[in-house]
Amino acid sequence: MRQIPTGTSLTLGEAWTIAFTYFTVAITVSLVHSTAGTPPWIIVAATLLVNSATATLAYAAVTAAGGSATAGVVAGCLTATRFGVLAAALAPRLWPERWKRAVAAFAAFDPNIALANREQKDTDVRRVYVAMSLWLVLPWWLGASLGVVIGDWVSNPKALGMDAMFPALFIAIIRPQLTTTNARLIAILGAGIALALVEVLQGGLPFLVAALPALLALRNRNGERA
Amino acid sequence: MLTWGVVAVLAVGVYGQRALGMALVDPDRLGHRSRQVLAMVPLSILCAVTALQTLSTRGELVVDARVAGIVVAAVLSWKRVPMFAVVVGAAAVTAAVRLLS
Repeated sequence: MRQIPTGTSLTLGEAWTIAFTYFTVAITVSLVHSTAGTPPWIIVAATLLVNSATATLAYAAVTAAGGSATAGVVAGCLTATRFGVLAAALAPRLWPERWKRAVAAFAAFDPNIALANREQKDTDVRRVYVAMSLWLVLPWWLGASLGVVIGDWVSNPKALGMDAMFPALFIAIIRPQLTTTNARLIAILGAGIALALVEVLQGGLPFLVAALPALLALRNRNGERA
Repeated sequence: MLTWGVVAVLAVGVYGQRALGMALVDPDRLGHRSRQVLAMVPLSILCAVTALQTLSTRGELVVDARVAGIVVAAVLSWKRVPMFAVVVGAAAVTAAVRLLS
């Protein structure tokens, strides 16, 4: 199977799938904002500048439920906390120059970080991160812009099962990583903690706690020091 | 409804957290053990995101048609079906369950 960039483990099929998923989900996110009365140009700008559907959707949900704009913005920022943690997780394997990491931060999403993270060499981590960020962010912007235009055609994204696309994609990304007992334990605990806390903690805070099982990486394996 | 002001504040707030994450970690001063832990953080968080996007809506636990789609996605992933088929299969099953229920 063809790799992009060559010599890495990122396949063209994976890149296309992620591009397709983000493109499609971006269309549905645009629809939600259109329905809430947001003008087209602001939707496009929000997609481009905020670069996080969870943040803008959290804002939309809070304000639609009668919350103030301030409450919406706080909720929006809180849901994005996981991107900060994900960025920190990949940072040691990215460029040593701070400014390069500051630019890279703009496109810190779940799939590009997860896929870059599986590379063995740091140079490949950087190449996959750059490639996958482009394969993700460009369809994301395109989809959002298209969603503004064709809004009326896809009147009910849920009827098409579009809300299952993100979790399905993440499952496909997670599955090959579950090769060790430790990884399986971390996966189950991460999911379990998030489910246990979702009704207790605000916005994205369950994700912060759900990062803690990663500490299991320090567990001793086969009597060796991990 | 989003406004220009809201977009500006959200953009700064979200980018600020991403940049903070990148800035907080100094690759030169990071030990082997810290690197091992950080390497597992994306897996942990991705599983948390998947669980919540499957079983919750707006901060409340919900069981709906998505669950069927994600079970199918898990089975297909386990069978090493290409990623594209996993995503489309999950959406199709979710849509079918909604249509029939």
